[in-house]
Amino acid sequence: MIEYDVIQTRGFHNVVRNGEVIGFQFCVRLKQYRGYWLSMIRTEDVFVDGVAYPKDSIVWTIEGTDYTPAQMLGIGNVQWPSSRPATLTVRKPGGLAQGYHDVRFAVRCIHTYLPPRISSDAAFAATPPQYEEKRLLMV
Amino acid sequence: MEGKRTGPKRGVSIFSYWELLDISMDLEDCFKEMQDMGATGIEILANGHVDNYPYPSQDWVDEWFRLCGKYGVTPVEYGHWVDCYLFKGRDLTPQEAYEQLAVDIRLAHRLGFTVMRTKQSVIDDTLTPVTYWSEIIKRALPLAEECNVRMCPEIHGPTRLTDRMVSDFVDFIEKEDTKWFGLNVDFGVFEEMRPSPGRPVFPGYAGPSKPEDILPLMKYVYCCHEKFRHMDEDFAEATIPHQEVIGLLMDKGWDGYLLSEYEGKDKHRYEVVSDQLRRHHIMMKNTLGY
Repeated sequence: MIEYDVIQTRGFHNVVRNGEVIGFQFCVRLKQYRGYWLSMIRTEDVFVDGVAYPKDSIVWTIEGTDYTPAQMLGIGNVQWPSSRPATLTVRKPGGLAQGYHDVRFAVRCIHTYLPPRISSDAAFAATPPQYEEKRLLMV
Repeated sequence: MEGKRTGPKRGVSIFSYWELLDISMDLEDCFKEMQDMGATGIEILANGHVDNYPYPSQDWVDEWFRLCGKYGVTPVEYGHWVDCYLFKGRDLTPQEAYEQLAVDIRLAHRLGFTVMRTKQSVIDDTLTPVTYWSEIIKRALPLAEECNVRMCPEIHGPTRLTDRMVSDFVDFIEKEDTKWFGLNVDFGVFEEMRPSPGRPVFPGYAGPSKPEDILPLMKYVYCCHEKFRHMDEDFAEATIPHQEVIGLLMDKGWDGYLLSEYEGKDKHRYEVVSDQLRRHHIMMKNTLGY
């Protein structure tokens, strides 16, 4: 089961590596009627409790494989399926405190069937992305 | 199965369920819905509905055929895209685009489909395909023949059936003398477009096609998206002349599937989508007589 909202309730955790909390993770789904090749996905900065986390510092895990946004731009033969959420890992030493956090997330895809006036890198540069917002509860 | 019936037949594009699928419905639920309303043909969107697209496991493929058999559903149309804007800063070459298309042709064949809705990348507001579309298709004709699938661009509003784009497709078919490339007519081309929030505005749109505009194209049409936005409680829609167009297809002996495609409101609400599709199938059933 996945949740209707783009930002998923399930999967919101701090990340521990070698005994240290190095950051946090949350899951998002692609709210589209098709999956997209990784090279057609345009990521954006993430905001948590008003703090910006630059897009290029975020690691995306799709179908079990980790990618940086720069790596995704070069991969034209792997899809992010619309049925499988991606996990975003955000570096933040110490992680997030227990309790509620306001998460803002946006992503865009190059829709090749729409006029480039609406969907292209040039169009995206001229229009800010629409952010999804959700209050997530850290256990 | 009713696959042998000639004439227009009733099917469903499970695009209609996209806001429900994987959330409150699974693929088998779509088949159960189709059986419930008497639909015998299915359209999938490969990138959205095939697990591990474009290389599903054999187990998934076996399950696909089990569902088709159990619910009496024929694989009709395989929806896919030729994504020429795959990489930032450059367009695919015709050969690269062909290689992407070839993967889909083989998968469509593996899943038992005989028609593909081949969506090419567009260059402008009237949805003109990339300038080299015919080079891509020409390269793919031998493989399409080998795999027994017909590649069909979807003629979709705001494009009109009388537009240059459509006559270019027909000229290509005639010049190549091929039956492996044809047309999918989306009934939205007959829609009297009314401005509404959230719908893109297409400058210079000249109004809908007339039902009879489909007549000279009929022999090239292998599939139709029977697009609708709202069927009323009398099983009709004021903005699309569904019964008139279906009547023309019946009169002329057109043989193919009318795939219900719900593009109305509240697609995330099962009670709305399921009711709308059933109303639409009542309209088609009463028009077709079966």
